[in-house]
Amino acid sequence: MRNLFFLLLFFSSTTLFAQDFEYLKVSQADLNFTKTALDSNANAVVLREFGTAAVRLDDNYGNLFIDFEYHVRIKILNKKGFESANITIPLLTNGDKEETISELKATTINYTNGEISLTELDKKKIFTEKRNKYVTFTKFTMPNLTEGSIIEYRYRLYSPRIFNFRTWEFQSNIPKLHSEYIAMIPALYNYNVALRGAQKLTSQNAELNRECLRIAGRAIDCSKMTYIMKDIPPFIEEDYMTAPSNFKSAINFELSDYITPTGGKQGITKEWKDVDYQLIDDKSFGGQIKRKDIFKTLLPDILKNATDPLNKAKAIYAYIKHNIKENGFIGIYSENTIKKALETHTGNTADINLALIAALNAAEIDAEAVILSTRVNGLVNTLFPVISDFNYVVAKVNIEGKSYLLDASEPLIPFGLLPLRCINGRGRVIPLKKPSYWYDLTASQKETTRYNLTAELGKDGKIKGILTTYSIGYAAFNKRKRILASNSIDEFVEKLDESMPKIKIVKHEINNLDSLENPLIEIYNVEILAFQDINHDPLFFNPFFIDKTTRNPFNLNERTYPVDLGSQSEQRVSISLKLPGNYTLADKPKELNIGLAEGGGRFMCTTSLQDDVLVFNQLLQFNKPIYGPEEYLSLKELYSRIIQVQKTDIILKKQSK
Amino acid sequence: MIIKQIGLIALLFCAFNSFSQVEYPADQLSSELKNRANAVIRKMETTVDMRAGDNVIMNIKKVVTVLNKNGDPQAEIYLSYNKNTVIKSAKGIIIDAFGKATSKFTLSNFTDHSAVSDISLFEDDRVKHFEPTVLSYPYTIAYEYEIRFKQNLMIPDWYASHTADVAVENSSYTFICKPEDKVRIKAFNYKGEPEVVINEKLKSQTWTVKNLTAFKPEPYAPDPENYRCHVKIAPEEFNYYGYKGKYQNWEELGKWIYNELIKNRQTLSPATIEEVKALVAGIPNDKDKARKVYEYVQKKTRYISVQVGIGGQQPMLASEVDQLSYGDCKALVNYTQSLLKAINIPSLYCIVNAGSLKKDMETEFASMNQGNHIILCLPLKNDTTWLECTDQESPFGFLGSFTDDRTVLACTEDGGKILRTPALSTQMNLQERKAELVLDAEGNINGTMETSCGGSQYDNYAQFVNQPMKEQLKLLKTTYDIDNIDFDTFKLTQDKGSKPVTKESLQLSIQKYAPRTNNHIYLVLNAFNKKRTIPEVRNRTLPVFINRGYTDIDELTYTLPNDVVIDFIPQGTEIKTAFGSYAISIRKVDKKLIYRRKFVLNDGTYPADKYADFADFISSVSSYDQVKAIFKTELAKN
Repeated sequence: MRNLFFLLLFFSSTTLFAQDFEYLKVSQADLNFTKTALDSNANAVVLREFGTAAVRLDDNYGNLFIDFEYHVRIKILNKKGFESANITIPLLTNGDKEETISELKATTINYTNGEISLTELDKKKIFTEKRNKYVTFTKFTMPNLTEGSIIEYRYRLYSPRIFNFRTWEFQSNIPKLHSEYIAMIPALYNYNVALRGAQKLTSQNAELNRECLRIAGRAIDCSKMTYIMKDIPPFIEEDYMTAPSNFKSAINFELSDYITPTGGKQGITKEWKDVDYQLIDDKSFGGQIKRKDIFKTLLPDILKNATDPLNKAKAIYAYIKHNIKENGFIGIYSENTIKKALETHTGNTADINLALIAALNAAEIDAEAVILSTRVNGLVNTLFPVISDFNYVVAKVNIEGKSYLLDASEPLIPFGLLPLRCINGRGRVIPLKKPSYWYDLTASQKETTRYNLTAELGKDGKIKGILTTYSIGYAAFNKRKRILASNSIDEFVEKLDESMPKIKIVKHEINNLDSLENPLIEIYNVEILAFQDINHDPLFFNPFFIDKTTRNPFNLNERTYPVDLGSQSEQRVSISLKLPGNYTLADKPKELNIGLAEGGGRFMCTTSLQDDVLVFNQLLQFNKPIYGPEEYLSLKELYSRIIQVQKTDIILKKQSK
Repeated sequence: MIIKQIGLIALLFCAFNSFSQVEYPADQLSSELKNRANAVIRKMETTVDMRAGDNVIMNIKKVVTVLNKNGDPQAEIYLSYNKNTVIKSAKGIIIDAFGKATSKFTLSNFTDHSAVSDISLFEDDRVKHFEPTVLSYPYTIAYEYEIRFKQNLMIPDWYASHTADVAVENSSYTFICKPEDKVRIKAFNYKGEPEVVINEKLKSQTWTVKNLTAFKPEPYAPDPENYRCHVKIAPEEFNYYGYKGKYQNWEELGKWIYNELIKNRQTLSPATIEEVKALVAGIPNDKDKARKVYEYVQKKTRYISVQVGIGGQQPMLASEVDQLSYGDCKALVNYTQSLLKAINIPSLYCIVNAGSLKKDMETEFASMNQGNHIILCLPLKNDTTWLECTDQESPFGFLGSFTDDRTVLACTEDGGKILRTPALSTQMNLQERKAELVLDAEGNINGTMETSCGGSQYDNYAQFVNQPMKEQLKLLKTTYDIDNIDFDTFKLTQDKGSKPVTKESLQLSIQKYAPRTNNHIYLVLNAFNKKRTIPEVRNRTLPVFINRGYTDIDELTYTLPNDVVIDFIPQGTEIKTAFGSYAISIRKVDKKLIYRRKFVLNDGTYPADKYADFADFISSVSSYDQVKAIFKTELAKN
C-alpha cells in the first residue's frame, strides 16, 4: 500500500483542464479490437474509462457538493460479455443528503461490413428502483447488442457528501486498457489519499488550478490530481479470502481537514486524537456510552447472583444479548439510541454493543468500545484514521489484567469470543478518557472438535458403542446453530440419524447446549452396520468413517491472495474398537505425522491392535488463521495426503489358536 | 337491501370486532398442534369480496402463535403492491404467552422496499414488510390487513397451509360476490362442500379447515398441489388494466389472450419482413425455414426481463425487440412468432409452468395465474416442433427439463388449446462414459475419457458453454472434484440435431489416486460417478415421487502396472427394483481391469410405505460405488 499526501503549496501553476475522450469517437483500433494480451479469456474489455470529481458550490442552495462525471467505453467480445451491458448505478438517498444523476447518455456502436451504426439508449428504458430507504438504483441495459459491439455511456452524479470523495476503482471483473481519474480539490480541503491493491499507477500528476471555485466572493485555487493506470488485469475472487476491496486496485480519499471561508483550519480526521474527541463527543457514539443512568434501576436485578467483576460482566452480557435483538443493520453509530433499543428490544449492532459498554460501565467494570471493519468490508487503514473504513463496534472489557472482546449481537457466541465476521486485522479501541489505541482482533478460542468412539464389533457385523463429540469455539457455535434450527433436540437427532443410512442412533444426550462457555457435548449410542458378513478372511475395515475428508478444499494449481481461515483449528478422532476374537493386523493405513512449515499445521494418524482392541487416532491441526499464497500448495499437499491415507484400509486376518 | 348486506358482512367479521379483547394464551394449544410445529396459525380468515371487476377487496385476519425461534418468519408480514394492487390498511398487536397484549403496530411500522427479483432488470412490484421483535417464546401476533385489487382476472389461490413445521388450528376462506355473478370455483383436496349464504345482494361461500397438524418436509415428495387443500377462483367476466373480457374455459381464455394481448404486438417494419424473407429464400421446407429464423433470433437477441405495463402479461412490441435486440420470454416468443408469420409459417404462443418439477396447466380448470413462462410451438404436419426462445444456445426443437412433459396453453386466434410438450424418458436421459486409464506403480492415473449426455442430461454442461478454456478447466475441477485431478485437454461439442447430445472428451491425470500402504495398493474403481445416499424417513406420509428418470453408464478400463498382483477384486452386483436398477461388473482381461456400471432411475409415483425400499436401494448403490480393488505390490511378495 502506498500513501500520497497532498502538499498543495508545491504545485506548479498551470491552466490545463481535465481531458476526457470524445464521446462516440471510436478509433479503428477500437473497432477491430478482439483480444487482449492482458487476459485472453476476457468476455469484455474496458477500452477507456475516464472520471473527474470536483468540489463545487451549489449556487441555488449555497452548499458544497461533489460533481462526479463518469465516462466509459467497453468492447463486448462475446455473449458472456453481455453482462457488462447491464448497468446499475447505486445512489445514496438517505435523508437530505440525496445523490442525483443527470446527463445520462448511452450508445451501442456496431460495426458490420465496414459500416458503423449507432443505437442510442431510449430515456424511457432507464429505470429507477428505490431499493430501500438508503439506496436507489438507476438501471439500464444497452440496446441492439451483439458480439463485437462497443458500448459507451456517461453520466454526471451530484453528491452532497463531501467527506467521502469518490473512490475510484481501477480494477474490476473485466480487464481495462486505460483508466484515468482526475480529482479537483479546492485548496480549502485536504484529503488523505490511499492507493490500494497490487497494481501500480502508470502515471500521476498534480497541478495547481487557479480560481476554480468561488465561495462568498472569494476565489479559491484547486489542486488537480491526475491518476492513470493502464493495462489492468481483471480481479478474480478466490475461496477463503476476505473482502475483495482489500485486494482490488483502487484509490480512496478521506477528508482530513479544511480551511473555513474565514480562514481558520478545521481538522476532520487528521490524527487519532481528533477522531477520539469526535467519536466521544458524538451523540450516537460516546453520547450513548455515557448513558450509564439508564441501567441504574436495572442493574440490581441483573447482578443479583453475581459477586465478582467477571461474573457481573457475564450477567450483563447475557442480559443485553437477551434483551436487544439485532435488526439486520450494522454500524459504529447507534441507530435508535440505546434507550430506545432497550425499550423496543431491537437495534443495530452498535445499539446493542454500546448499550453493553454503558451497562458494564454503570456496574463499574472497565469497558471500552472497539471500532472495527468486518471481514466482508475489508481491512482498515492503520497509517492514518479513515473513519469510514470502520463499520462495526464491539466491547473490550478489562477485568483483573485480562481483556475480553464481546459482541452481544450474536446470541450463540460465548463470552469472550467474537463472531467470525469481526476477526479482521486490527480494531481501534476508543476509551472514554484515554487516547485510543490499536488492538488485534483474534479468535480467543481454537475451533476444536473431538470425536471419541468406544465400541465393540459384534459377530453380526455391527459396531455398537458410544460416540462422544466435543465442540469448542466456532465449531460449537456452528453446531449449536444447527441443533437450534430444529424445533427440539429429538428432532435434530432424528434428522441426523435419517441422514446416515448405515448408522443408527439408539440413544442420545446433548449437554451444554445453552451453557455457551462450556464445550458442546453430544453423546450418541450408535449402531453401525460395518459388515454384512464378517466371516470373510481377511476383513477390510476403513477406520475413516467419522468426519471423512472427501474433497480437497485447495484444489487449484495456483493462488494469488492469502488463504484466510479465520481462526486456528483442531480436529481429533479417537476410536477404540473391541474385536470379536483373535485377529492380527495384516496391513494398516500408513502411520503419518506430517506438518506444515514452521509448525503451521499437522496431520497425524496411527493404528494399533492390542489384546483384541483396535486403537485408531487421527489429528488435524491448523495453527494459523491466515496462510500466505506461497503456502497454498503445502495446504493442498497436506489435504492430498489425508485423502490418500483415508482411502486405505485396516486389514484384519483371523488368527488360528 | 343495504341493511341485509351489512348484516352479512357483520356476521362474517363479528369474530374480529372484539379483536383487542380476544386473548390467545399459548397454553391453550393442544399438544397435537404443538407437536413438531414452530408456529401455530390459531385463526386465519381470508375474505375476498368481489365488489366489482375493478374492485376486489381481500381482507386477511390472522393470529399466529410462535413457539420458538424457528417460527419467527411466520410472524413476519410481507405485503406486495403495485399500480393495480393497493394496500388499504394493516394493523395488529403482539400478545405474550399469557394472552396479554404487549404492543401494537400499524402500516407506518412497515419498511418499504422494491421487490425486483434477481433475474429482472426491472419490475413494478414493491413490498411492505413488518418483522416483530419479541424476546421470549411463545408469543402471539394478531393482525389484519386489507388489499384492493383493481382487477379480477387474477384472484390469488387460497391455501389452507403453506409451510412445513406450521400447524393450523383454524383457517377459512370466504369468497363474496353478487348472486348474479358467474364465477367458476374449484376446491382441491377439500372434503365436503363450502358453506353457502345467499341473499338478493350477495352470495358468499366459505371453506373451513381445522386442526391441521404440522407436517415435516419429505424428500422425493410430489407437488404439494396434489395433496394440499387449496381453492382456485375464476370469474367469468373480468376486468384487467382497462380490458374487459369473458371466459369459461381454456378455449376462450386463450383466444382472449391472443386477441387482446398479442395480436396487435406483432407488426414488423417492411425492412425486417424483407430481411427475413431473404433469409429463408431458397429453403424448400417450413421446418428448415423455421430453423433458420430460430437461429437468427438466437444470434440477434438476448434475454432481459423487464416486467412493466399490464402486470407483466403483455409482450413488448415485436418491432421494439427488433430494434433493441432483447426481451423477456413473452417478447422473444412474440418476436419469433412475428418473424415466422412474415414467411407464412404458423406458430403457437404457449403458456407453460416452467421448472424442473413438471407441473401441468390444470386441464379442467382454466385460470390466468397458472403459467410462468412462454414457449413457441410449430404445428408442422406430423412433426410438432417446440422452441425455447430465451436461450441463445438451445438446439432447434429441443425443450430441456425446464418445460418437458407437461400440458401448456396454446393461445391462438381460433381459441386456446391445451397441448402437451414431449417427454424426455429415462432411456433418453442417458449419460454414457468411457475412460481408458493407465495406473502406474506410484498410484498415478493417466488417460482419456469420453462422456456423452442426451435428453434431460443434455444441459449438464450448460455452464461450460462459451466459457474460455481457463474457466472451463476450473469448472471441470468442481465437476470432477477429485484430489489432484488435472486436465491436459478438454473439448466440448454439442450436436444440436434432432436428438441433441453434448459430448465431452478430455485427457486427465490424477496423481496418487490409488494410495499404497506398506504392502497394498487401493484402487477405488468408480472414480467419477458416485451416488450419494438419501435420508431415511421414519413414518413416511407422502407417496414417493421421482420427477425425472435417467440412465448412467460408466465403463472405466484400468491398465495395471506390471509389478502388482491382485489381492482382492470386488464381485459384480445386480440390483433390480421398481425404482430402477443398478449393475456393476469387474472383469480382468490380461493386464486390464474393466469396471462397468449401469444405473437406471425410473420416474414415477410409488406408495408412501415404499420409501424405505427406495432409500435402501440408493444406500446400496452408494455403498457399491465405493468398492475398491486391492493389489499386492512386488515388495510384499518378497
